[in-house]
Amino acid sequence: MSKPSDLIYGTLDLLILNTLVIEPQHGWAIAKRIQQVSNEVLQVSQGALYPALHRLEQQGWIRADWKVTEGGRDAKVYTLTRAGRVQLQKETEQWNRMSNAVGLVVRMAREASA
Amino acid sequence: MKRRFDILRLRVRSLFRRGRVERDLDKELAFHLAQQTEENIARGMSPRAARDTARRALGGYTQIQEECRDMRRTNFIETLAADVRYALRSLRRTPAFTAIVVLTLALSIGANSAIFSAIQGVLLRPLPYPQPDRLVRFYFQSDTQPKFPLNPNDFLDFRQRNGAFESVGAISRRDVQLSGAGEPVMLTSFRVSAGYFHTLGLSPARGREFDAGDERHGQGRSAILSDRLWRTRFSADPAILGRTITLDQEPFAVVGIMPPGAVHPGNNFHAVADGENVDVWCPFDFGDDPNDRGSHYLDGFGRLKPGVSLEQANADLAAVLAQIVREHPGEKGWRVYAEPLFQETVGRTRNMLLMLLGSVALLLLIACVNAANLLLARAGARVREIAVRSALGAGRSRIVRQLLTESLALALAGGALGALLSVGGVRVLVACLPAGFPRASEIHLNAAVFAFTLGVAMLTGMLFGLAPALTASRADLQTSLSGRGTTGGSRQSRLRGALVVGETALACVLLISAGLLLHSFANLLRADPGYRPQQVLTASIALPREQYRDEAKCVAFYQELLARLQNAPGVTAAGAGSDLPWTGYDGNADGYGIEGRPENYQTMARYHIASPDYFRALGIPLVRGHFLGDRDTTNSAPVVVINEAMAKRYWPGEDAVGKRISFADHPQEKDWIRIVGVVRDVKDQPDSTWVRPAFWMAQTQDVQRALYVAVRFTSAPSEAAAEFRRTVRALNPDLALSDVRFMQQIADEAFSGQRFALFLVALFAGLALALATFGIYGVISYSVSRRMPEFGLRMALGARPWDLMRAIVGRGVALAAVGTAMGLIAAIAFGRLLASLLYGVRPSDPITLAAVAAVALTTAAIACYLPARRAAGADPLRSLRSE
Repeated sequence: MSKPSDLIYGTLDLLILNTLVIEPQHGWAIAKRIQQVSNEVLQVSQGALYPALHRLEQQGWIRADWKVTEGGRDAKVYTLTRAGRVQLQKETEQWNRMSNAVGLVVRMAREASA
Repeated sequence: MKRRFDILRLRVRSLFRRGRVERDLDKELAFHLAQQTEENIARGMSPRAARDTARRALGGYTQIQEECRDMRRTNFIETLAADVRYALRSLRRTPAFTAIVVLTLALSIGANSAIFSAIQGVLLRPLPYPQPDRLVRFYFQSDTQPKFPLNPNDFLDFRQRNGAFESVGAISRRDVQLSGAGEPVMLTSFRVSAGYFHTLGLSPARGREFDAGDERHGQGRSAILSDRLWRTRFSADPAILGRTITLDQEPFAVVGIMPPGAVHPGNNFHAVADGENVDVWCPFDFGDDPNDRGSHYLDGFGRLKPGVSLEQANADLAAVLAQIVREHPGEKGWRVYAEPLFQETVGRTRNMLLMLLGSVALLLLIACVNAANLLLARAGARVREIAVRSALGAGRSRIVRQLLTESLALALAGGALGALLSVGGVRVLVACLPAGFPRASEIHLNAAVFAFTLGVAMLTGMLFGLAPALTASRADLQTSLSGRGTTGGSRQSRLRGALVVGETALACVLLISAGLLLHSFANLLRADPGYRPQQVLTASIALPREQYRDEAKCVAFYQELLARLQNAPGVTAAGAGSDLPWTGYDGNADGYGIEGRPENYQTMARYHIASPDYFRALGIPLVRGHFLGDRDTTNSAPVVVINEAMAKRYWPGEDAVGKRISFADHPQEKDWIRIVGVVRDVKDQPDSTWVRPAFWMAQTQDVQRALYVAVRFTSAPSEAAAEFRRTVRALNPDLALSDVRFMQQIADEAFSGQRFALFLVALFAGLALALATFGIYGVISYSVSRRMPEFGLRMALGARPWDLMRAIVGRGVALAAVGTAMGLIAAIAFGRLLASLLYGVRPSDPITLAAVAAVALTTAAIACYLPARRAAGADPLRSLRSE
């Protein structure tokens, strides 16, 4: 992992939805949280974050509301919708299947070469 | 569900509240920046460095904006709106170009819509009966008669014994005179079998339809009225049900009233075109002699049982006929067959409509090619604009999309105008339809036609826009911007040349079709009709049975009427007969015996009846012998006049006059009918390929109540008509005259199919030729304007104006020649659609082909003349200076 910002394609949605399970967040906090939780391994580029948020909103998986933060600023806060929860479950399952499969292939390759 | 709704709400919001959405995004990103900056400061950066770092981390601001827009999925629509706005603006800047393209498209799209409305009404829409695909017509057929009506007793056998039909019905035309309800009037009337309406799937709006009781011999005094008759003659009075009306001087009880739109299915014997023009139906009397199998005059209909195929039905009918022939050997030689009612109804016109559709499709293609050509020329003039746009970062697909939007806008404008034009076009079309055109009443514009128009317009826009758009977007940036290249180069010029060739080829196909139809029409007009239709007035008379009970009374009436007419001022001859020329009459008498020939000698002929002066009135010349006379009566030996075709066929090389024929199986001396004269041939229809043998029995010997009267006059037509009516009224004031027409009208109607096709195809061909000429002019004129400097140089080097002109006209004519050659080949293929409409001309008629080639090449040369003259006027000095 030379470049920590590289995200496997398609996983950003999963990460965002996962982050919003806990509580509604604004964009900056979502990026921050992903970074923290992954021990700085996953870095979300803002250039990708906002289009992704807009896409998820258009899909109806998250909802956006304007709220005033503690600092007194207007922030767009995203909330997971019920459809979003279902989608999250789907994507999580898919991710697990994928990572298991990839793990399996990698392990077999290693054993064969050993 | 809620999610879908949310999505929709968001999409709508992003589309219509664009400003708000954009502001929101700005605010969101600003918030992000602020948070990041704060954090950076907390980490110990200077405020300025903190803000810069945050901004860098966020990346390209506008790029994020753009991507977010894409995510909202409305980008497409927004771009489209922008494209449309841009397209409209740029089209407005070139009004002449826009007007020409829109107008030519509108004309051809309008023509397509009008023709399509006919196709839709006639060929595509199902017949107006429930489950119409199960309805069939059935006929007899023999070696000499392709389509023959049924004998009533045969029909009864079919009805009783068939296993394939849910029900069958039969009709026979017999017009009646209505009296006692206003002026006496002749009504179009049919005698129908019980259950006839049920077979079609129709039922009376009031009352009932005929049942077995009405059909019983000698009963049958009941009537079913059409909605129209009920409204016009009985003021829509429901109490008419159960009351009696007077038809042919006899009382008939009204048992039913049909609803409006109860459409007549069409018939062959004494035909009434399908459509709503039957006034009254009465029960058919099948008589009481089941062995009476001689005369055939019923049209049979049937509704197939569910799941029964046409083949099964035909096999079933054939099996019943085999039984009938066993029981009644006289019916030997007949075959029976069923045909789908739909096919029977539209069969004759399918080819014509498809040919017209082909013609307008060609016209549309030409208009497309023409529009593409104009767009290419325009793209040439817009090279710099396009180059600037692509220099500013517009991708190729973006430019193609922009240009396609323009062509679609043109096409849709053309389509909209075309739809408007088709409103008038359909009216003209219906008004021009040939007489007896099936389902004419069902031709009108409707949603389907407009959908077709829209589809055609869209397709057209894509078709003519794509090539120019692709070519234009490929333009080379460097040369375009430097201002040297003002054209799309040789590729574009080749493309335009190819388009002109295609356009000419398509126009030639239409020109050849029009030429063939014209040639064929000229042949028809030039052909000797065999009679003289000018200055003849005709009408039909049917004597009511009540007033004219016996034959002598009928004979006396007609003799008296004809004598009075003959003596009327301005009348030169007055005659009566079973029918008039070219009216589709098909009474037949096959299998008569000829004296001195074996009994199984095959004979056929049209069976007519005529009064002595019938031939003189119609101008049918006598070839041999003499006409029928007043002295030929029921008491004297029967006589007949035959036509030349019959004389040549059965007495080749002999004199037919004096020979005898007979209808009896074993003729006695009194059964022999002597031929007294031979008259000139008259074809069934002007475009019939052969003349059937025919004979005319003496009206005084073979007595009929219903006859056509023909009067040849020298006075003014209106006077003749008034005199005619006056004479009839003086003789019997209660008698209704019907079908009062001039023979010339009837003759004109017989040509109406050909005239209709010729008119439309010639119209389309004229438009096509104009478009193609315009195309050639455009290409040549454009290339001349590009090459003016070159021409100037050539002049400076000693070329004469004539040389330049020849070169330019030569190029145009060469293009046209290639197109014409291709068109001639294509026309031969297209000609097959046309073949059934042609008379005396083959689709590969060399005269027509040569004439069209000459027209196409001459027009091309003329189109090139103006540009060529411009080139010849090139100024050597100016070009030298500009180089």
